[in-house]
Amino acid sequence: MNLYKFNYTLKQRLNFIFGLLIFIFFILLIKFFYLQVIKFDNYSSLAKSNRIKIIPIPAIRGQILARNGEILAENKLIYTLELNPKNKDDLNKIKKKLSNILEITKNDIKKYKKTLKENYYSSTLPIKTNLSNIQVAKFIANHYKYPEIFLKQKFSRSYPQGKLGAHFIGYINRINKKDIKRLKSTNKLKSYMGLDHIGKTGIEYFYEDRLHGYPGYKKIEVNAKNEVIRTLEIVPPIHGEDIILNIDFKLQKIAEKSFGNYKGALVALDPKNGAVLAHVSKPSFNPNLFINGIDEGNWRRLRDSIHKPLVNRVVSGLYPPGSTLKPFVALAALENNIRQPPFSIVDKGFYNMPNQSKTFSDWKKGGHGEVDIIKAITVSCDTFFYGLGIELGIPKINNTLRRFGFGEKTNIDIPNEKKGLIASAKWKKIKYNKKWYQGETAITAIGQGYTQTTPIQLALATVKLINLDSTLHPQLLKENVVPEHMESNENNKAKESNGILQFNLFTKNKINTKAASDLSLIKEAMSRVTKEGGTAAFIGRNSSYNISAKTGTVQVFGLKKDEVYDESKLPDRLKDHALIIAFAPSEDPNIVVAIIVENGGHGGATAGPIAKKVFDAYLNETN
Amino acid sequence: MLKHRLYNFLSNIDRILMALIMLLILVGLITLASATHQTTSLIGNQIINIIVGIMLLIFLSNINPKLFLFLAPHLYILSLILLISVVIFGFESHGAKRWINILFFNLQPSEIIKITIPIMVAWLYHRYQNNINYLTHSVALVILIIPCLIILKQPDLGTAIIIFFSGLIVIFLAGLSIKFILISILSILLASPFLWSTLHLYQQNRIISLIDPSHDPLGTGYHSIQSMIAIGSGGFLGKGWSYGGQTQLNFLPETSTDFIFSVFGEEFGFIGIIGIFILYFLILYRCFDMAQKMQNTFSRLTAAALVFTLFSSTFVNIAMVSGVLPIVGAPLPFISYGGTSMVVSLTMIGIIMSLHSHKSLIAN
Repeated sequence: MNLYKFNYTLKQRLNFIFGLLIFIFFILLIKFFYLQVIKFDNYSSLAKSNRIKIIPIPAIRGQILARNGEILAENKLIYTLELNPKNKDDLNKIKKKLSNILEITKNDIKKYKKTLKENYYSSTLPIKTNLSNIQVAKFIANHYKYPEIFLKQKFSRSYPQGKLGAHFIGYINRINKKDIKRLKSTNKLKSYMGLDHIGKTGIEYFYEDRLHGYPGYKKIEVNAKNEVIRTLEIVPPIHGEDIILNIDFKLQKIAEKSFGNYKGALVALDPKNGAVLAHVSKPSFNPNLFINGIDEGNWRRLRDSIHKPLVNRVVSGLYPPGSTLKPFVALAALENNIRQPPFSIVDKGFYNMPNQSKTFSDWKKGGHGEVDIIKAITVSCDTFFYGLGIELGIPKINNTLRRFGFGEKTNIDIPNEKKGLIASAKWKKIKYNKKWYQGETAITAIGQGYTQTTPIQLALATVKLINLDSTLHPQLLKENVVPEHMESNENNKAKESNGILQFNLFTKNKINTKAASDLSLIKEAMSRVTKEGGTAAFIGRNSSYNISAKTGTVQVFGLKKDEVYDESKLPDRLKDHALIIAFAPSEDPNIVVAIIVENGGHGGATAGPIAKKVFDAYLNETN
Repeated sequence: MLKHRLYNFLSNIDRILMALIMLLILVGLITLASATHQTTSLIGNQIINIIVGIMLLIFLSNINPKLFLFLAPHLYILSLILLISVVIFGFESHGAKRWINILFFNLQPSEIIKITIPIMVAWLYHRYQNNINYLTHSVALVILIIPCLIILKQPDLGTAIIIFFSGLIVIFLAGLSIKFILISILSILLASPFLWSTLHLYQQNRIISLIDPSHDPLGTGYHSIQSMIAIGSGGFLGKGWSYGGQTQLNFLPETSTDFIFSVFGEEFGFIGIIGIFILYFLILYRCFDMAQKMQNTFSRLTAAALVFTLFSSTFVNIAMVSGVLPIVGAPLPFISYGGTSMVVSLTMIGIIMSLHSHKSLIAN
């Protein structure tokens, strides 16, 4: 290779290298353009999340109180043992070290690891919660041995009344996936930062938004080692509101006690405003079990029990109303101008269907003799109502029932309320694709057909006999303030019930005289139920005030032909349900109750005394 | 009289190049001040490094290139000895043995060899310029490969690659046939699976994390991701000097050395990047212009190789912090904190100036 050619090549290649370097410059410039201009938003938010951390400050949940301030749900100070996650302690070693004070279970370790994963930048995380006083004392005495373990105080939900009122108080539990989905859809997830509990049933669920408040937060700047550099901002939490209920605590206690070992439901309302004074569902459960996640054993026991302790029978229990429906059916007849006094029948203990051979018998063999509409209610004459029902027809009966709130939610302020059922020809066609028989109208008229009610519906219907305010609904919350999320419900209800309002003969001020006399006839009949000859005569016998009532008895199973019902021979499970609706004092009622005693036998005999005890407790106190 | 002598002494400095370099060094100092949270002692050290470097630059610009030519083999052997003694006596830092303590300062021989290899290879081609053949190329390759293997052993993949490619550039400039180059590249590609297995695990991880940085966000990918976050969050205008959150809160690793360019990118934005790239382009252009004007093989080859070494270091560093190349650990010339890097970079410029101002002294 000659020198000239060598130099020529060198110069050429020098230019080539220069070009190559310029080319690399361009590639790098494009990369920076991509990072800083195109992907700027992306990296900018990454940088922010790198250094700014938000530590939520949870709000303290509001308490739930009975009307006179008795505590139904509170926040108890509990002690926890906590570890600093930065230390990366050997959990087994910790377990061994603490073994003479308390036992760290597998569950505790599981929970610790879970919270560790979620990592909310708290300086310590709990390894053991809910220490007993003795454990706390022992730990403090030996504190020097455990420099890596911290004793902390925290607020935890507690239900000091245990099983009492558990169904309406409800309970909180850990937030699960379903809750998160719901909170996301209602855009409330943000207000649960740093919280891991949420109301699941009862008041705890229904007034969740007011009880749980709004968390505050601390904005901190951290460095690459997650060490706090400085606090940028502190927004204090808005603590949850206390909820005061209409529940009369003493009444509630007496009502629960008076059930004894019976299952069933009781609801006591103030007819003047719909306030729920007592709300009993038996058997009950201990809501404290649920707070930090119920353990498998207890959960199974509660869920699988044939007595269904978790079901709130007051709003979710569906029962045929039995004879407690008779006052409303009777009112339907009067409104439609049949069976008005002095109309009467002679009851021989059975009713023959017109033009048919089918016969329905009265509960009383031999019948009640001459019966008008008042006596029909007083003695609960089935024969009278068979004929009444058949003449009136199912649509007219149902029109009146609907006006009293049957087949509709009462909109009481707790969840899981059932609508009940008003059976009709149309309903049967849809449900069973079968024709409606006249005989079914007859048994519906005595409350034994397909028609089903909840105890709260029965109570509200009874209130509506007394208080003509059609907007009245049962309410546990004492204040008159309607919470936001209920307002929409109210509006919906108003729209839905427009169709029913047209039947409304009486708004509060405009009551026509015909309707008033019909009503007073029914009330007169109900007041006689507790007098001599009535089905609940014995509860009125020694009463210092007048009681109006209607008893009911519902067959749990159908008797076979020729079989005679004999209460003493039946297992408890198959005994009749006993019902009563009642109010007192008859002249100016202050309290209304609806009671169902499952397998309680005859209505007057078991449900009646419970009603009397509740009335005594309430009326003797207020007087 | 004294003034005249001083003028003579400084007359060998290329004013344009010097001005550009000083501007770059100033930008580096400003960035360093932010990266070190304005730690005066570190900034002071760096200023001393700069002064030492500039003094050496002025001194070298006055040296007759004939001396370089004469000393080339000796310097090469000396730097090889230093390199080997690092492996034997050197001390470790950050998992690599790169430094050696001589008298009162720590020396990084792998930086010194960045200068001596180009001079040595240029010497070889200059000496046999009338008869360059495959044997000449082979000898050049051996001169190049020996130090590279030692540096790989330290281990310092980044520097080894930079030195190797700078050497290859000299061989390329010296006229190695294109056909041969293509065949070589092909065979290297074929051998790459084998080469992969010779890499250290941490080197393999770095390459894997380059392909997918999120693969191990807290391990090897962490630095790469944090660096890209710093640069990307700087945006078009930057966050302003000393306002780079990534830098100031230590999310970014090694902010004063390897990742100083990310600090620059975060605080001065894309505008700043364009500005500094223009500065680099002007320096590059000036250096190539000077090299083209040189009149002998030794000068041209040495100057081109030194420029290429400087810029390949620059590119590797910038490509590394922006996620184009894996994190290999290469300082940014004139900007990163560190005595050796600064002094060596200024030395290279000094040599280029010497070759330029004495272009007529060595004739072909």
